[in-house]
Amino acid sequence: MSSGALAGVKIIDLTHHIAGPYATKLLADFGADVLKIERPSGDPARRLPPFYHDQPDSGKSLPFLYLNTNKRSVTLNLKSETGPAILFELLADADALVENFAPGVMASLGLDDATLRAHNPRLVMASVSNFGQTGPWRDYRATDLVEYALGGLMYIFGAYDREPLKHALHQAQFKAGTNLASATLMALYHQRLTGAGQRVDVSIQESLASALRDVTNNYTYTGAVRRRQPNHTGDLTRLRAVSDGYVLPNPGIGASLNWQTLVDFLEAPELDDPRFDNASARLENAAALGAILDDIFAAKRKQEIFQAAHEKRFIYGVIDSPQETVDNPQIQARGYYVPVEHPDLGEITFPGAPFLMSDSPWEVRAAAPRLGEHNAAVLGEQGYSAQDLAYLRASEVI
Amino acid sequence: MAGPLEGIRIVEMGQLIAIPSAMKWLADMGAQVIRLESVQRLESYRTDSLYHNDVDGEFWNRGANFYEQNRNKLGLTLDLTRDAGRATLRDLIAITDVFAENFTPRVIRNFGLEYENLRQIRPDIIMVSSTGYGFQGPWANFGATGPATEGAGGLAYLTGYKDGGPVMSEIPYTDYTAGEHTVTAVMLALMHRLNTGRGQFIDISQTQTCSATIPEALLDWTVNGRVQERVGNEDPAMSPHGCYPCAGDDRWIAIAVDCDDAWQSLCRVMRRPDWAADARYADALGRIRYRAELDKMLAFETRAHDNHELMARLQAAGVAAGAVMDSADLLFNEHLKERRFYEVVEHHPDTGMPPLPYAGRPWKLSGTPAIPPRPAPLMGEHNRELLANLLGRTDDEIAALEAAQIIGSAPLAPRGVRRPSLDEQVRQGRMQRYDTDYAQRVRQAFNIAE
Repeated sequence: MSSGALAGVKIIDLTHHIAGPYATKLLADFGADVLKIERPSGDPARRLPPFYHDQPDSGKSLPFLYLNTNKRSVTLNLKSETGPAILFELLADADALVENFAPGVMASLGLDDATLRAHNPRLVMASVSNFGQTGPWRDYRATDLVEYALGGLMYIFGAYDREPLKHALHQAQFKAGTNLASATLMALYHQRLTGAGQRVDVSIQESLASALRDVTNNYTYTGAVRRRQPNHTGDLTRLRAVSDGYVLPNPGIGASLNWQTLVDFLEAPELDDPRFDNASARLENAAALGAILDDIFAAKRKQEIFQAAHEKRFIYGVIDSPQETVDNPQIQARGYYVPVEHPDLGEITFPGAPFLMSDSPWEVRAAAPRLGEHNAAVLGEQGYSAQDLAYLRASEVI
Repeated sequence: MAGPLEGIRIVEMGQLIAIPSAMKWLADMGAQVIRLESVQRLESYRTDSLYHNDVDGEFWNRGANFYEQNRNKLGLTLDLTRDAGRATLRDLIAITDVFAENFTPRVIRNFGLEYENLRQIRPDIIMVSSTGYGFQGPWANFGATGPATEGAGGLAYLTGYKDGGPVMSEIPYTDYTAGEHTVTAVMLALMHRLNTGRGQFIDISQTQTCSATIPEALLDWTVNGRVQERVGNEDPAMSPHGCYPCAGDDRWIAIAVDCDDAWQSLCRVMRRPDWAADARYADALGRIRYRAELDKMLAFETRAHDNHELMARLQAAGVAAGAVMDSADLLFNEHLKERRFYEVVEHHPDTGMPPLPYAGRPWKLSGTPAIPPRPAPLMGEHNRELLANLLGRTDDEIAALEAAQIIGSAPLAPRGVRRPSLDEQVRQGRMQRYDTDYAQRVRQAFNIAE
């Protein structure tokens, strides 16, 4: 058994793709016993690119390997007659069931919340879906892109005069997955205190819409509608290209900025000019200022100016590529990237603990499972014999 | 119903978003969150984005961002630079379950508020520190903004138009990413304390929580030696997959075609049987090869449509599509309304502000729902209540703290930020537009009495 915060917590994991598996990964990596129930064809995320050495086999999807550490895999055909019966047996002593089917699918399988909790009143049944379990858009289809549009982040994201943009990769899914982990833990905390289970409903759209600063409030406070911002080239905090990448300058806070300090720091006497030495002058001469700043920064080196800035407590930032962030000395000093030994693929370097807990640390006890790797072990614990397993396999239940 | 976290007391020494947003969600679910401020140092969220852009009077109690991040918390001011302030905090720590902060380690050390200090006072305390780059390590004391951690964590590099540089979101996005992980971390620590009786120290690097959400690109580097490049709104496996213009000013629709059936449905809704019949576009491989051409053709067609109407027709045909919603679209959205996502909060009468809707939470718990919302505290609103009821301070003691400005209810150096007029903001392109009847529209949509 693990020594993690969730030692002794048993999760039945019916999730697939990204949002749900990220939630159960967080729970598993902090000690929960997570039983991943996969359809016989496997979690579709087993086919998510990129792949280990670009080999598109079901065991080599890199996102899948990341999202399913510390889980055991059992295949179960929930559309067969025996499938749900076996699931009910597994649920008898489970603390939570986590799922991310389209709303209504669980009920169509005879696995609605009421039935499950009649079977096990302690059960937390936690779901994540695109738009939540209720409401007129419940059955709308979505991808990460569509969630960005309907969650409100896209309209204020990108260039003023171009189409709105989303973040790279699958941020909406990860955001909702984190929230699903939190909400499930709240319900588990209540269960530990009172013995009562309950239903948890997490929405991906609401995960985005509840993390927007000053968007709807700008409207309710003044009537104004925010939008993508024009390119204010003279803006002192604007992202600037340097000779080896990009930095985020931050000269100080607003009105307290001492212009001479900035001139000295950037070693740029050409900025020592009445056209730039106060805020309203800078606004008036923004184009000229922007051009000079572009030139100044183009001659700087990223790490040098970043370190020099922090010596003066200017909170500069760096834009790091995947390679650079993996090599970052701060991140390395914290041991963030960790080797994980995979039985088939050897050692792989993974992003590790998302946060450090001093008394119940993050840990990888096992690499992501092969499809159905734990069928025999898990069903054996439930009393199924080798003969039973052969029958279940032959009838395509597992 | 009291919320699942009833009985948990949290003291928050937070600023801006990373810690306040997380503690707000814990407060929503029933934890008692005491939010520390001081009259000596005015948080910028109390000075900007003010109700009616009005910097007169007690403007610090009318800041949109402060209300957004601090719902359901109690407000206590304390000057921690002086002994009496720190002594009061120590007494509070003794009866507290969780201490949460997002200052640099330098500040926390100067105040004597490291985990080792706190556990002398309260052995089973949970302390959570959220910093840009982590509480330990060579960059520990480097301050950071949301954009800086979005950059250091690897997300900003990957985001942007195909032909351009990195693009940052216009909110401190990774502050929220860190906040969301902070809620998870605190709940894990509370579970651990139930099991073992022990508290602990949680060290959140906002940069690492960002990296945790981009494994596709990080593993492509560590395993395959490949550095992924910016692709705008494209998806490697789907086409069309983008954001297309619609009728009206700055109106858009996002469309993601994830299978051949969806492609056929899209062609039907757009009344383009010629596209449907074109063998070059019959499967994803072909549509990806002709991506640029398809995007252009589709953008030409979508221009004629209202984005919400087109979304409804595409969704009815089984195509994943979404109108790019602006703030008014969100507030007045029928789906979010039926789910009661925006919650009306009544403000303190002294503010002169009407009840207003605020974004709720991304989850619903059937047995232990969120508590009815209370507004963020006025500055120092609960000083007297907390000091007298929780710490047993007498009226004389409280008066002495007030006289020494250890506590107070107004900033010593108030300076509000007046934004340009709405017309000027629109002229500069900072705002898309403004509605003059917005107050009435909000009242009607949320059944708020005049």
